[in-house]
Amino acid sequence: MNKSDPWAAFAEIIRDPWSKIKDIKAKTGKKIIGHILPDVPEELIHAAGAIPVAIAGAGIPISLAQAHIPGYSCSHAMGALELRLNGELNVLDGMIIPYVCDTTRNLYHLWKNLFPDSPCEFLRLPKKIGDSNANQYLKEEYLRISKWLEEITGEKIVDETLGSSILIYNNSRDQLRSAYHMMEISPSSWTASRVISLFESAFRIPREEHLTLLERLPWNVMEETGTGRSRIYVKGKVWDPLEVTDLFDEYGFTLVGDEIVTGKRSVAIDPTIQKDLLQALVDRHMSLIPYTGYHVDPEQMIGDFITRVENSNAQGVVFLNPKFCEAAAFDTPDMILGLKEKSIPSLVLETSSRGTSLSQIRLRLEAFKEILSDDLP
Amino acid sequence: MEPIKALKKIKKITMDYFTAAHMAPNDHKPVVYCNVFTPVELIYAMDMFPVYPENHAAIIGARKMTTELSSAAEGMGYVMDLCSYARCDIGSIKLGMSPTWGLPKPDLILVINCQCGTLTKWFEVLSRKYNAPMVLIDIPHSGNGEQDVAAETYVRHQLEGLIKTLESISGKSLDEAKFKEVMNLSKQASELWTKMLIMGEQIPAPMTVFDQFVSMFPIVSQRGTETAVNFYGNLVQELEERVAMKIPAVDNEKFRLFWDNLPIWSDLSKLSGFLAERRASVVTSIYTWAWSQLAVNEQDPLSDWTRQYLYTFNLNFDYRVEKYIELARRYRVDGFLFHSNRSCKWISQDVFALRDTITKRTGIPGVIFEADQNDTRLYSFENLEKQIESFLELLETRSGHV
Ligand code: SF4
Ligand code: SF4
Repeated sequence: MNKSDPWAAFAEIIRDPWSKIKDIKAKTGKKIIGHILPDVPEELIHAAGAIPVAIAGAGIPISLAQAHIPGYSCSHAMGALELRLNGELNVLDGMIIPYVCDTTRNLYHLWKNLFPDSPCEFLRLPKKIGDSNANQYLKEEYLRISKWLEEITGEKIVDETLGSSILIYNNSRDQLRSAYHMMEISPSSWTASRVISLFESAFRIPREEHLTLLERLPWNVMEETGTGRSRIYVKGKVWDPLEVTDLFDEYGFTLVGDEIVTGKRSVAIDPTIQKDLLQALVDRHMSLIPYTGYHVDPEQMIGDFITRVENSNAQGVVFLNPKFCEAAAFDTPDMILGLKEKSIPSLVLETSSRGTSLSQIRLRLEAFKEILSDDLP
Repeated sequence: MEPIKALKKIKKITMDYFTAAHMAPNDHKPVVYCNVFTPVELIYAMDMFPVYPENHAAIIGARKMTTELSSAAEGMGYVMDLCSYARCDIGSIKLGMSPTWGLPKPDLILVINCQCGTLTKWFEVLSRKYNAPMVLIDIPHSGNGEQDVAAETYVRHQLEGLIKTLESISGKSLDEAKFKEVMNLSKQASELWTKMLIMGEQIPAPMTVFDQFVSMFPIVSQRGTETAVNFYGNLVQELEERVAMKIPAVDNEKFRLFWDNLPIWSDLSKLSGFLAERRASVVTSIYTWAWSQLAVNEQDPLSDWTRQYLYTFNLNFDYRVEKYIELARRYRVDGFLFHSNRSCKWISQDVFALRDTITKRTGIPGVIFEADQNDTRLYSFENLEKQIESFLELLETRSGHV
């Protein structure tokens, strides 16, 4: 690791998260719980004395998984399965797959079938957002998952531990919010690529350690008077391919908002420290920007999205849609229509580890930049 | 091969249904879009009219209109990887082309997600298009089908809420006597449907799953009506006669096969003919069995539905394996045809594990072929034929069929 470059540590974690986590496990003796994105409450895992690690399937070259899941599945599911089959995930002591779509549901079944001896739980997230019965159910579900975690770690989740876990995560979210802001005010040093690496890596090592690494960053930089930059808003699941953030920098795009599950959405809301901490986690989940697999009033879903984009003051929207993700693909056309009505241009990039061509993305971003800059004749 | 006479009525039943659907607004019956497992008995009991976009899409597939209609949806931005039912339905609205003169506009959109998640997203599109309110009955998935008491409470509350919504849209209260009558008719239809399926156990089978697919329309959309009871009553009677006279569905039945997943509507008769020529009778399928378990008791229908949605229709891997093995034994099948359906990821993504587990446990082989329920652009029928042909050759060598 390059000690003089405070950004290098984050890039290194993303490049090879599993070696790092093996070292941490050896050093701390803590249990490692893997989770598929999005929306597994890391605070609960942390409060049970384990280390949560997000599993990013996107971008993983697929070979072994092909024999177990059809090729018309998204790269998140295929990649996660590949990592388990090629042994990378042997470090895990347990695994949580959330119910966000048919694919994660099937992934859970496959996991149980292929690896019957690996502890794996299915987080039964209700699909309804903003519904009191769903809130009640989610709380019961968090309780059930808590018990499962306690069995794995042998540690009880009590108010004290959960409270301090929430504080650590709130602190981390606060820092990451500041980092996002830095990207807006000082885009030449706090580039999109660098800042997103902070977000991505936060999900892959203990947050305490991540917070220490964040302290080393150059927080005291001058504000820039950005010229020639275009403000964009990104909608999608994860930063896939990750190199897209380099291209944002290269073409002078400034990220002013996003709904990526390892992006601004993940730090937008903190659970409040209150008497009922589990309820605080439920409230946080229900207040997040609804993930595409969930259900809210259909008209409101589009309207709220347009409002978020407008409030961000973005000039354009980039959709990073994972190929074979039904949920995202159903939402996109009406979102684009809604944007058109407000004269906000958008660009859909369909991303997949098996078929995303960076050069094509580059070309399309270049054309999009021209549209946003009004440079066209 | 002697065709089943009772099936001839299906065309008229379908057309009468769609005529009534289009007349529903004139008859002051609110139109409710729903999916195959919604508690349609409540809708009929409230004097509302249930309409099934899935059925509409299947008919589009069977009439070979998929390419034109789904291309229209793709032109609107609905990518080709999406379920072809949804693409066909959305494209049909866009072009105003449909074998059923379209569908009447909905007053309510109702979806139960123990089926797939796709339906919720597809119906959200419809809800926006028609500016119609939408109700999702959200069914948590307990992974392996283990009891989830909290989910039972959650689902029951939603069903109670649904009754209130239906009452407010129809402007009527649920009439208990009418509801009981509808539940009773639904139960009768479901029992007759089951009786029909069981007849496939006979050797030779009097009916194939292709005939079952053709006969599905009333059990899906008209449970709770006299039409369904009469249709299946006649069908069962005719099948009993065929069994007594040993009239087979496939002449000189040689192979008995199991069909997994949805039918391939666009190539249904082609595939059925292809198999019949090779003396292969597809005698059962998990798909058609789903409708045998839909009846509820009048004592406590909401609890019955809650259990069905959570533990029966909420398919899980272990349940599927057990059910396939049970059916394979009962129907004495020689092999499995696994349709790996690009459209229906929900029911297809564990196909490799399913095949391997079942073959390991029973010794019965299965062939997996990739196709699509509607969209012929996504597979090659010739390849599919070749795969099935080789599979039948394998079966021949295995069991010494003559
Ligand atoms: S990308 Fe889409 S299909 Fe894949 S796991 Fe996420 S929600 Fe499901
Ligand atoms: S995904 Fe499958 S179950 Fe869902 S609507 Fe499409 S075909 Fe039907």
